Amino acid sequence: MTMPSPLLRLDKLRRRRAGRPAVKDLSLTLDRGQVLGLLGVNGAGKSTTLAMVAGALRPDGGAIALDGRDFLEHPELARRLLGWLPERAPLWPELTVAEHLDAHGRLRGLAGAALRRAREDALARLELAPLARRLAGVLSQGQRQRLGLACALLHRPALLVLDEPANALDPVQVAALRALVREEAANGAAVILSTHLLAEVTAVCDRVAILHEGTLRHEGPLAGTDAAALERRFFEIAMGGEAKAA
Amino acid sequence: MSTLAVMRLELRRLMVQPLAWVLAALTLAWLAWRFVLLLGQFLGMQIRLAALPDGPGFTDIVAVPLLAQLAFLAFLVVPLLTMSALAGERRAGTLALMAGMGLPPSRIVLGKYLALLAWLLLWLLLALAMPLALARATSLDWGKLAAAALGLALLLAALAALGLACSAFAAHPAIAAAAALALALALWTVNLGARMAGLDGGAINWLAMSTHLQPLLRGLVSSADLAWFGLLVALALALAVRRVADEKERD
Repeated sequence: MTMPSPLLRLDKLRRRRAGRPAVKDLSLTLDRGQVLGLLGVNGAGKSTTLAMVAGALRPDGGAIALDGRDFLEHPELARRLLGWLPERAPLWPELTVAEHLDAHGRLRGLAGAALRRAREDALARLELAPLARRLAGVLSQGQRQRLGLACALLHRPALLVLDEPANALDPVQVAALRALVREEAANGAAVILSTHLLAEVTAVCDRVAILHEGTLRHEGPLAGTDAAALERRFFEIAMGGEAKAA
Repeated sequence: MSTLAVMRLELRRLMVQPLAWVLAALTLAWLAWRFVLLLGQFLGMQIRLAALPDGPGFTDIVAVPLLAQLAFLAFLVVPLLTMSALAGERRAGTLALMAGMGLPPSRIVLGKYLALLAWLLLWLLLALAMPLALARATSLDWGKLAAAALGLALLLAALAALGLACSAFAAHPAIAAAAALALALALWTVNLGARMAGLDGGAINWLAMSTHLQPLLRGLVSSADLAWFGLLVALALALAVRRVADEKERD
Protein backbone atom coordinates (compact mmCIF):
# COMPACT_ATOMS: atom_id res chain seq x y z
CA MET A 1 0.00 0.00 0.00
CA THR A 2 1.43 3.43 -0.97
CA MET A 3 1.23 6.36 1.41
CA PRO A 4 -0.61 9.41 0.06
CA SER A 5 1.82 12.21 -0.80
CA PRO A 6 1.75 15.25 1.49
CA LEU A 7 -0.13 18.26 0.19
CA LEU A 8 2.99 20.41 0.43
CA ARG A 9 6.59 19.31 0.27
CA LEU A 10 9.51 21.72 0.44
CA ASP A 11 12.84 20.24 -0.48
CA LYS A 12 16.07 22.12 0.23
CA LEU A 13 14.54 25.46 -0.60
CA ARG A 14 17.04 28.31 -0.96
CA ARG A 15 16.60 32.03 -1.59
CA ARG A 16 18.86 35.06 -1.34
CA ARG A 17 17.44 38.52 -0.69
CA ALA A 18 19.26 41.83 -0.48
CA GLY A 19 22.54 40.03 -1.11
CA ARG A 20 22.33 37.60 1.80
CA PRO A 21 20.80 34.14 2.18
CA ALA A 22 17.25 34.61 3.46
CA VAL A 23 16.29 30.93 3.37
CA LYS A 24 18.82 28.09 3.46
CA ASP A 25 18.07 24.49 2.50
CA LEU A 26 14.60 24.45 4.04
CA SER A 27 12.83 21.10 3.87
CA LEU A 28 9.46 20.27 5.37
CA THR A 29 6.14 18.64 4.56
CA LEU A 30 2.54 19.45 5.38
CA ASP A 31 -0.45 17.12 5.17
CA ARG A 32 -4.10 17.90 4.63
CA GLY A 33 -5.85 18.96 7.83
CA GLN A 34 -2.64 20.07 9.51
CA VAL A 35 -1.84 23.54 10.82
CA LEU A 36 1.84 24.40 10.82
CA GLY A 37 3.08 27.39 12.77
CA LEU A 38 6.20 29.04 11.38
CA LEU A 39 7.95 30.81 14.23
CA GLY A 40 10.92 33.11 14.11
CA VAL A 41 12.16 36.54 15.02
CA ASN A 42 11.90 39.37 12.48
CA GLY A 43 14.17 38.66 9.53
CA ALA A 44 14.25 34.92 10.20
CA GLY A 45 13.01 34.18 6.68
CA LYS A 46 9.34 33.44 7.43
CA SER A 47 7.83 35.85 4.88
CA THR A 48 10.34 34.83 2.20
CA THR A 49 9.47 31.19 2.80
CA LEU A 50 5.74 31.87 2.59
CA ALA A 51 6.12 34.02 -0.55
CA MET A 52 7.92 31.10 -2.20
CA VAL A 53 5.25 28.65 -1.05
CA ALA A 54 2.60 31.03 -2.41
CA GLY A 55 4.31 31.24 -5.79
CA ALA A 56 5.12 34.95 -5.56
CA LEU A 57 8.89 34.42 -5.29
CA ARG A 58 10.96 31.88 -7.20
CA PRO A 59 13.47 29.95 -5.08
CA ASP A 60 17.14 30.07 -6.09
CA GLY A 61 17.28 26.33 -5.53
CA GLY A 62 15.30 23.39 -4.21
CA ALA A 63 11.84 22.13 -5.05
CA ILE A 64 8.23 22.72 -4.04
CA ALA A 65 5.66 19.99 -4.62
CA LEU A 66 2.00 20.90 -4.26
CA ASP A 67 -0.51 18.06 -4.29
CA GLY A 68 2.23 15.79 -5.64
CA ARG A 69 3.12 18.05 -8.60
CA ASP A 70 6.07 20.32 -9.21
CA PHE A 71 4.75 23.74 -8.22
CA LEU A 72 7.62 25.61 -9.85
CA GLU A 73 6.79 23.97 -13.19
CA HIS A 74 3.04 24.40 -12.69
CA PRO A 75 2.43 27.73 -10.94
CA GLU A 76 -1.17 27.61 -12.21
CA LEU A 77 -1.86 25.09 -9.41
CA ALA A 78 -2.04 28.09 -7.08
CA ARG A 79 -5.20 29.32 -8.73
CA ARG A 80 -7.28 26.41 -7.43
CA LEU A 81 -5.29 25.00 -4.54
CA LEU A 82 -3.76 27.94 -2.75
CA GLY A 83 -4.95 30.95 -0.78
CA TRP A 84 -2.37 33.49 0.39
CA LEU A 85 -2.59 36.36 2.83
CA PRO A 86 0.66 38.38 2.71
CA GLU A 87 1.93 40.26 5.74
CA ARG A 88 0.03 43.47 4.91
CA ALA A 89 -3.16 42.54 3.09
CA PRO A 90 -2.71 44.06 -0.41
CA LEU A 91 -5.93 45.73 -1.50
CA TRP A 92 -7.20 48.06 -4.23
CA PRO A 93 -8.31 51.11 -2.22
CA GLU A 94 -10.79 52.28 -4.86
CA LEU A 95 -12.79 49.03 -4.82
CA THR A 96 -15.41 48.01 -2.27
CA VAL A 97 -15.19 44.93 -0.06
CA ALA A 98 -17.68 43.04 -2.26
CA GLU A 99 -15.84 44.09 -5.42
CA HIS A 100 -12.62 42.69 -3.97
CA LEU A 101 -14.23 39.34 -3.37
CA ASP A 102 -15.75 39.33 -6.86
CA ALA A 103 -12.40 40.22 -8.45
CA HIS A 104 -10.54 37.53 -6.50
CA GLY A 105 -13.23 35.00 -7.36
CA ARG A 106 -13.06 35.79 -11.08
CA LEU A 107 -9.26 35.71 -11.08
CA ARG A 108 -9.54 32.23 -9.58
CA GLY A 109 -12.03 31.11 -12.19
CA LEU A 110 -15.28 31.42 -10.25
CA ALA A 111 -18.33 32.80 -12.06
CA GLY A 112 -22.08 33.17 -11.81
CA ALA A 113 -23.89 31.51 -8.93
CA ALA A 114 -20.71 29.86 -7.60
CA LEU A 115 -19.04 33.27 -7.34
CA ARG A 116 -22.08 34.80 -5.60
CA ARG A 117 -22.23 31.89 -3.13
CA ALA A 118 -18.51 32.11 -2.39
CA ARG A 119 -18.74 35.90 -1.88
CA GLU A 120 -21.72 35.69 0.49
CA ASP A 121 -20.09 32.85 2.41
CA ALA A 122 -16.80 34.76 2.80
CA LEU A 123 -18.63 37.93 3.86
CA ALA A 124 -20.53 35.97 6.51
CA ARG A 125 -17.55 33.99 7.79
CA LEU A 126 -15.33 37.05 8.22
CA GLU A 127 -18.24 39.19 9.50
CA LEU A 128 -17.74 41.61 6.63
CA ALA A 129 -21.35 41.70 5.41
CA PRO A 130 -22.09 45.13 6.96
CA LEU A 131 -18.98 46.49 5.20
CA ALA A 132 -19.70 44.93 1.81
CA ARG A 133 -20.22 48.28 0.06
CA ARG A 134 -17.46 50.15 1.85
CA LEU A 135 -14.32 51.14 -0.05
CA ALA A 136 -11.22 49.20 0.96
CA GLY A 137 -9.29 52.48 1.20
CA VAL A 138 -11.30 53.59 4.24
CA LEU A 139 -11.22 50.32 6.18
CA SER A 140 -9.42 50.08 9.50
CA GLN A 141 -6.27 47.95 9.69
CA GLY A 142 -8.16 45.09 11.31
CA GLN A 143 -10.92 45.25 8.69
CA ARG A 144 -8.32 45.24 5.91
CA GLN A 145 -6.75 42.15 7.43
CA ARG A 146 -10.14 40.40 7.58
CA LEU A 147 -10.83 41.33 3.95
CA GLY A 148 -7.43 39.95 2.93
CA LEU A 149 -8.28 36.75 4.77
CA ALA A 150 -11.70 36.58 3.11
CA CYS A 151 -10.04 36.90 -0.31
CA ALA A 152 -7.60 34.09 0.56
CA LEU A 153 -10.40 31.81 1.77
CA LEU A 154 -12.92 32.63 -0.95
CA HIS A 155 -12.31 29.61 -3.20
CA ARG A 156 -11.88 27.14 -0.34
CA PRO A 157 -8.21 26.38 -1.09
CA ALA A 158 -6.55 23.13 -0.08
CA LEU A 159 -3.55 25.09 1.25
CA LEU A 160 -3.90 28.32 3.15
CA VAL A 161 -0.75 30.43 3.53
CA LEU A 162 -1.11 33.12 6.18
CA ASP A 163 1.65 35.60 6.93
CA GLU A 164 1.11 37.16 10.35
CA PRO A 165 -2.69 36.84 10.05
CA ALA A 166 -3.37 38.19 13.55
CA ASN A 167 -1.73 41.55 12.73
CA ALA A 168 -3.94 44.46 13.81
CA LEU A 169 -6.79 42.22 14.98
CA ASP A 170 -8.38 42.85 18.37
CA PRO A 171 -8.60 39.98 20.90
CA VAL A 172 -12.13 39.05 19.84
CA GLN A 173 -11.09 38.95 16.20
CA VAL A 174 -7.99 36.92 17.10
CA ALA A 175 -10.22 34.34 18.78
CA ALA A 176 -12.46 34.28 15.67
CA LEU A 177 -9.40 33.88 13.46
CA ARG A 178 -8.20 30.91 15.52
CA ALA A 179 -11.63 29.28 15.25
CA LEU A 180 -11.61 29.89 11.49
CA VAL A 181 -8.18 28.32 11.04
CA ARG A 182 -9.22 25.26 13.05
CA GLU A 183 -12.43 25.02 11.02
CA GLU A 184 -10.48 25.11 7.75
CA ALA A 185 -8.18 22.37 9.05
CA ALA A 186 -11.18 20.30 10.20
CA ASN A 187 -12.56 20.60 6.65
CA GLY A 188 -9.33 19.12 5.29
CA ALA A 189 -7.33 22.20 4.37
CA ALA A 190 -3.68 22.49 5.31
CA VAL A 191 -2.70 25.78 6.89
CA ILE A 192 0.74 27.28 7.22
CA LEU A 193 0.91 30.44 9.26
CA SER A 194 3.82 32.57 10.28
CA THR A 195 3.93 34.49 13.50
CA HIS A 196 6.30 35.65 16.16
CA LEU A 197 3.66 35.10 18.82
CA LEU A 198 4.15 31.82 20.68
CA ALA A 199 0.58 31.95 22.01
CA GLU A 200 -0.72 31.96 18.43
CA VAL A 201 1.11 28.75 17.69
CA THR A 202 0.12 26.89 20.82
CA ALA A 203 -3.52 27.95 20.34
CA VAL A 204 -4.09 26.75 16.77
CA CYS A 205 -1.20 24.70 15.40
CA ASP A 206 -0.60 20.96 15.26
CA ARG A 207 3.04 21.37 14.36
CA VAL A 208 5.66 24.04 14.75
CA ALA A 209 8.72 24.97 12.74
CA ILE A 210 11.23 27.49 14.08
CA LEU A 211 13.30 29.43 11.58
CA HIS A 212 16.38 31.39 12.49
CA GLU A 213 18.59 33.25 10.04
CA GLY A 214 16.93 31.38 7.20
CA THR A 215 17.60 27.92 8.61
CA LEU A 216 15.05 25.49 9.99
CA ARG A 217 16.22 24.94 13.56
CA HIS A 218 13.30 22.99 14.97
CA GLU A 219 10.36 21.14 13.48
CA GLY A 220 7.89 18.77 15.09
CA PRO A 221 4.42 18.16 16.47
CA LEU A 222 3.08 20.35 19.23
CA ALA A 223 1.19 17.58 20.99
CA GLY A 224 2.88 16.86 24.29
CA THR A 225 4.89 20.10 24.17
CA ASP A 226 3.80 22.60 26.76
CA ALA A 227 3.93 26.32 26.10
CA ALA A 228 6.81 26.85 28.53
CA ALA A 229 8.97 24.22 26.83
CA LEU A 230 8.25 25.72 23.40
CA GLU A 231 9.10 29.16 24.72
CA ARG A 232 12.40 27.90 26.13
CA ARG A 233 13.23 26.24 22.82
CA PHE A 234 12.32 29.37 20.87
CA PHE A 235 14.48 31.65 23.00
CA GLU A 236 17.31 29.16 22.92
CA ILE A 237 17.27 29.37 19.13
CA ALA A 238 16.48 33.08 18.83
CA MET A 239 19.17 34.16 21.30
CA GLY A 240 21.75 31.93 19.68
CA GLY A 241 22.02 29.69 22.75
CA GLU A 242 21.83 26.62 20.55
CA ALA A 243 24.66 27.85 18.40
CA LYS A 244 26.76 28.65 21.46
CA ALA A 245 26.04 25.24 22.93
CA ALA A 246 27.09 23.64 19.65
CA MET B 1 -10.64 33.56 -18.97
CA SER B 2 -8.07 35.00 -16.56
CA THR B 3 -7.15 37.68 -19.12
CA LEU B 4 -10.80 38.74 -19.14
CA ALA B 5 -10.89 38.71 -15.33
CA VAL B 6 -7.80 40.98 -15.19
CA MET B 7 -9.31 43.22 -17.89
CA ARG B 8 -12.59 43.47 -16.01
CA LEU B 9 -10.80 44.30 -12.76
CA GLU B 10 -8.65 46.96 -14.44
CA LEU B 11 -11.64 48.51 -16.21
CA ARG B 12 -13.56 48.64 -12.94
CA ARG B 13 -10.59 50.36 -11.28
CA LEU B 14 -10.35 52.87 -14.13
CA MET B 15 -14.07 53.58 -13.92
CA VAL B 16 -14.02 54.36 -10.20
CA GLN B 17 -10.80 56.39 -10.21
CA PRO B 18 -11.31 60.16 -10.37
CA LEU B 19 -8.15 60.57 -12.48
CA ALA B 20 -9.61 58.79 -15.53
CA TRP B 21 -12.84 60.81 -15.39
CA VAL B 22 -11.10 64.12 -14.77
CA LEU B 23 -8.75 63.52 -17.69
CA ALA B 24 -11.67 62.51 -19.93
CA ALA B 25 -13.77 65.50 -18.91
CA LEU B 26 -10.98 68.06 -19.31
CA THR B 27 -9.73 66.75 -22.64
CA LEU B 28 -13.22 66.38 -24.12
CA ALA B 29 -14.09 69.90 -22.99
CA TRP B 30 -10.89 71.16 -24.68
CA LEU B 31 -11.72 69.19 -27.84
CA ALA B 32 -15.29 70.52 -27.85
CA TRP B 33 -13.93 74.08 -27.67
CA ARG B 34 -11.50 73.35 -30.50
CA PHE B 35 -14.35 71.77 -32.49
CA VAL B 36 -16.44 74.92 -32.17
CA LEU B 37 -13.48 77.07 -33.28
CA LEU B 38 -12.70 74.81 -36.24
CA LEU B 39 -16.35 74.77 -37.21
CA GLY B 40 -16.48 78.57 -37.11
CA GLN B 41 -13.37 78.71 -39.28
CA PHE B 42 -14.94 76.25 -41.73
CA LEU B 43 -18.18 78.26 -41.93
CA GLY B 44 -16.19 81.46 -42.48
CA MET B 45 -14.41 79.87 -45.44
CA GLN B 46 -17.58 78.66 -47.16
CA ILE B 47 -17.63 81.27 -49.95
CA ARG B 48 -13.93 80.80 -50.78
CA LEU B 49 -14.24 77.01 -50.66
CA ALA B 50 -17.25 77.04 -52.97
CA ALA B 51 -15.07 78.63 -55.66
CA LEU B 52 -12.52 75.79 -55.51
CA PRO B 53 -13.33 72.69 -57.60
CA ASP B 54 -11.38 70.25 -55.38
CA GLY B 55 -11.12 72.34 -52.26
CA PRO B 56 -10.87 70.94 -48.74
CA GLY B 57 -14.13 70.02 -47.05
CA PHE B 58 -15.50 69.54 -43.54
CA THR B 59 -13.33 66.43 -43.00
CA ASP B 60 -10.08 68.26 -43.87
CA ILE B 61 -10.82 71.48 -42.04
CA VAL B 62 -12.72 70.24 -38.96
CA ALA B 63 -12.68 66.45 -38.39
CA VAL B 64 -9.03 65.57 -39.08
CA PRO B 65 -7.54 68.62 -37.28
CA LEU B 66 -9.76 67.72 -34.30
CA LEU B 67 -8.31 64.21 -34.29
CA ALA B 68 -4.80 65.69 -34.59
CA GLN B 69 -5.59 67.66 -31.41
CA LEU B 70 -6.60 64.42 -29.73
CA ALA B 71 -3.27 62.87 -30.79
CA PHE B 72 -1.48 65.78 -29.14
CA LEU B 73 -3.50 65.31 -25.92
CA ALA B 74 -2.89 61.56 -25.99
CA PHE B 75 0.83 62.15 -25.38
CA LEU B 76 -0.12 63.60 -21.98
CA VAL B 77 -3.21 61.56 -21.12
CA VAL B 78 -1.97 58.04 -21.86
CA PRO B 79 1.14 58.16 -19.61
CA LEU B 80 -1.05 59.44 -16.76
CA LEU B 81 -3.52 56.61 -17.27
CA THR B 82 -0.93 53.86 -17.59
CA MET B 83 1.54 54.98 -14.92
CA SER B 84 -0.06 53.03 -12.04
CA ALA B 85 -1.10 50.00 -14.04
CA LEU B 86 1.91 47.95 -12.94
CA ALA B 87 4.15 50.29 -10.91
CA GLY B 88 1.25 51.11 -8.58
CA GLU B 89 0.25 47.46 -8.27
CA ARG B 90 3.83 46.54 -7.42
CA ARG B 91 4.00 49.17 -4.68
CA ALA B 92 0.65 48.07 -3.25
CA GLY B 93 1.67 44.40 -3.27
CA THR B 94 -1.24 43.39 -5.49
CA LEU B 95 1.06 42.41 -8.37
CA ALA B 96 2.72 39.77 -6.16
CA LEU B 97 -0.75 38.70 -5.04
CA MET B 98 -1.78 38.12 -8.65
CA ALA B 99 1.39 36.12 -9.25
CA GLY B 100 0.44 34.14 -6.15
CA MET B 101 -2.84 33.26 -7.84
CA GLY B 102 -0.91 31.48 -10.56
CA LEU B 103 -1.76 34.07 -13.21
CA PRO B 104 0.81 34.04 -16.02
CA PRO B 105 2.54 37.42 -16.51
CA SER B 106 1.34 37.54 -20.12
CA ARG B 107 -2.29 37.43 -19.01
CA ILE B 108 -1.77 40.08 -16.34
CA VAL B 109 -0.17 42.43 -18.88
CA LEU B 110 -2.62 41.63 -21.67
CA GLY B 111 -5.65 42.04 -19.40
CA LYS B 112 -4.44 45.43 -18.22
CA TYR B 113 -3.57 46.48 -21.76
CA LEU B 114 -6.99 45.56 -23.13
CA ALA B 115 -8.71 47.48 -20.33
CA LEU B 116 -6.61 50.59 -21.01
CA LEU B 117 -7.24 50.23 -24.72
CA ALA B 118 -11.00 49.91 -24.19
CA TRP B 119 -11.00 53.12 -22.15
CA LEU B 120 -8.89 54.97 -24.72
CA LEU B 121 -11.05 53.80 -27.63
CA LEU B 122 -14.12 55.03 -25.77
CA TRP B 123 -12.36 58.38 -25.41
CA LEU B 124 -11.65 58.40 -29.15
CA LEU B 125 -15.27 57.52 -29.93
CA LEU B 126 -16.54 60.41 -27.80
CA ALA B 127 -14.21 62.78 -29.65
CA LEU B 128 -15.33 61.34 -33.00
CA ALA B 129 -18.95 61.87 -32.00
CA MET B 130 -18.44 65.63 -32.48
CA PRO B 131 -17.78 65.61 -36.25
CA LEU B 132 -20.13 62.65 -36.68
CA ALA B 133 -22.94 64.67 -35.14
CA LEU B 134 -22.79 66.90 -38.24
CA ALA B 135 -22.58 64.03 -40.71
CA ARG B 136 -26.05 64.72 -42.10
CA ALA B 137 -25.52 68.47 -42.37
CA THR B 138 -22.18 68.26 -44.19
CA SER B 139 -20.56 66.01 -46.73
CA LEU B 140 -18.11 63.86 -44.77
CA ASP B 141 -15.28 62.09 -46.55
CA TRP B 142 -15.92 58.77 -44.85
CA GLY B 143 -12.79 57.09 -46.18
CA LYS B 144 -10.50 59.85 -44.99
CA LEU B 145 -12.22 60.02 -41.62
CA ALA B 146 -11.98 56.23 -41.18
CA ALA B 147 -8.26 56.30 -42.03
CA ALA B 148 -7.65 59.12 -39.56
CA ALA B 149 -9.66 57.32 -36.86
CA LEU B 150 -7.65 54.16 -37.53
CA GLY B 151 -4.44 56.17 -37.20
CA LEU B 152 -5.59 57.59 -33.89
CA ALA B 153 -6.62 54.15 -32.64
CA LEU B 154 -3.17 52.81 -33.56
CA LEU B 155 -1.46 55.76 -31.90
CA LEU B 156 -3.46 55.18 -28.69
CA ALA B 157 -2.68 51.45 -28.83
CA ALA B 158 1.04 52.18 -29.23
CA LEU B 159 1.14 54.81 -26.48
CA ALA B 160 -0.78 52.50 -24.11
CA ALA B 161 1.69 49.66 -24.74
CA LEU B 162 4.63 52.03 -24.26
CA GLY B 163 3.11 53.39 -21.05
CA LEU B 164 2.46 49.90 -19.72
CA ALA B 165 6.06 48.87 -20.45
CA CYS B 166 7.34 51.96 -18.60
CA SER B 167 5.01 51.15 -15.71
CA ALA B 168 6.41 47.61 -15.61
CA PHE B 169 9.99 48.85 -15.36
CA ALA B 170 9.57 51.90 -13.11
CA ALA B 171 9.58 51.69 -9.34
CA HIS B 172 7.21 54.63 -8.96
CA PRO B 173 4.15 55.62 -11.03
CA ALA B 174 5.42 59.20 -11.51
CA ILE B 175 8.67 57.90 -12.97
CA ALA B 176 6.65 55.62 -15.26
CA ALA B 177 4.60 58.60 -16.51
CA ALA B 178 7.69 60.74 -17.11
CA ALA B 179 9.49 57.89 -18.90
CA ALA B 180 6.46 57.14 -21.09
CA LEU B 181 6.11 60.81 -22.04
CA ALA B 182 9.81 61.14 -22.81
CA LEU B 183 9.87 57.94 -24.88
CA ALA B 184 6.74 58.89 -26.82
CA LEU B 185 8.10 62.37 -27.58
CA ALA B 186 11.45 60.88 -28.57
CA LEU B 187 9.72 58.46 -30.94
CA TRP B 188 7.71 61.34 -32.40
CA THR B 189 10.63 63.68 -32.94
CA VAL B 190 13.48 61.29 -33.61
CA ASN B 191 13.60 62.35 -37.27
CA LEU B 192 13.26 66.08 -36.66
CA GLY B 193 16.88 66.76 -37.54
CA ALA B 194 16.70 64.63 -40.67
CA ARG B 195 13.56 66.42 -41.83
CA MET B 196 15.09 69.84 -41.21
CA ALA B 197 18.02 68.72 -43.34
CA GLY B 198 15.56 67.75 -46.06
CA LEU B 199 16.01 63.97 -45.79
CA ASP B 200 12.74 62.16 -46.41
CA GLY B 201 13.80 58.50 -46.39
CA GLY B 202 16.18 56.41 -44.31
CA ALA B 203 16.00 54.41 -41.12
CA ILE B 204 15.69 57.46 -38.87
CA ASN B 205 12.53 58.56 -40.66
CA TRP B 206 11.17 55.00 -40.56
CA LEU B 207 11.73 54.96 -36.81
CA ALA B 208 9.69 58.10 -36.19
CA MET B 209 6.06 57.76 -35.13
CA SER B 210 5.09 60.89 -37.05
CA THR B 211 6.20 59.26 -40.32
CA HIS B 212 3.58 56.54 -39.83
CA LEU B 213 0.73 58.59 -38.37
CA GLN B 214 0.69 61.50 -40.80
CA PRO B 215 -0.18 59.43 -43.90
CA LEU B 216 -3.11 57.92 -41.99
CA LEU B 217 -4.32 61.39 -41.01
CA ARG B 218 -4.18 62.29 -44.71
CA GLY B 219 -6.32 59.26 -45.54
CA LEU B 220 -3.53 56.99 -46.80
CA VAL B 221 -3.56 53.53 -45.26
CA SER B 222 -0.48 51.43 -45.94
CA SER B 223 0.37 48.02 -44.53
CA ALA B 224 3.89 49.28 -43.69
CA ASP B 225 2.45 51.89 -41.31
CA LEU B 226 0.07 49.38 -39.74
CA ALA B 227 2.96 46.94 -39.30
CA TRP B 228 5.08 49.65 -37.63
CA PHE B 229 2.41 50.27 -35.00
CA GLY B 230 1.85 46.53 -34.59
CA LEU B 231 5.58 45.97 -34.03
CA LEU B 232 5.80 48.75 -31.47
CA VAL B 233 2.84 47.37 -29.52
CA ALA B 234 4.21 43.81 -29.62
CA LEU B 235 7.69 44.91 -28.54
CA ALA B 236 6.44 47.08 -25.67
CA LEU B 237 4.06 44.38 -24.40
CA ALA B 238 6.75 41.69 -24.66
CA LEU B 239 9.09 43.85 -22.56
CA ALA B 240 6.34 44.44 -20.00
CA VAL B 241 5.60 40.70 -19.78
CA ARG B 242 9.32 39.95 -19.37
CA ARG B 243 9.63 42.47 -16.55
CA VAL B 244 6.54 41.18 -14.74
CA ALA B 245 7.85 37.62 -15.07
CA ASP B 246 11.10 38.78 -13.47
CA GLU B 247 9.17 39.99 -10.41
CA LYS B 248 9.48 36.53 -8.89
CA GLU B 249 13.26 36.81 -9.10
CA ARG B 250 13.46 40.24 -7.50
CA ASP B 251 15.56 40.89 -4.43
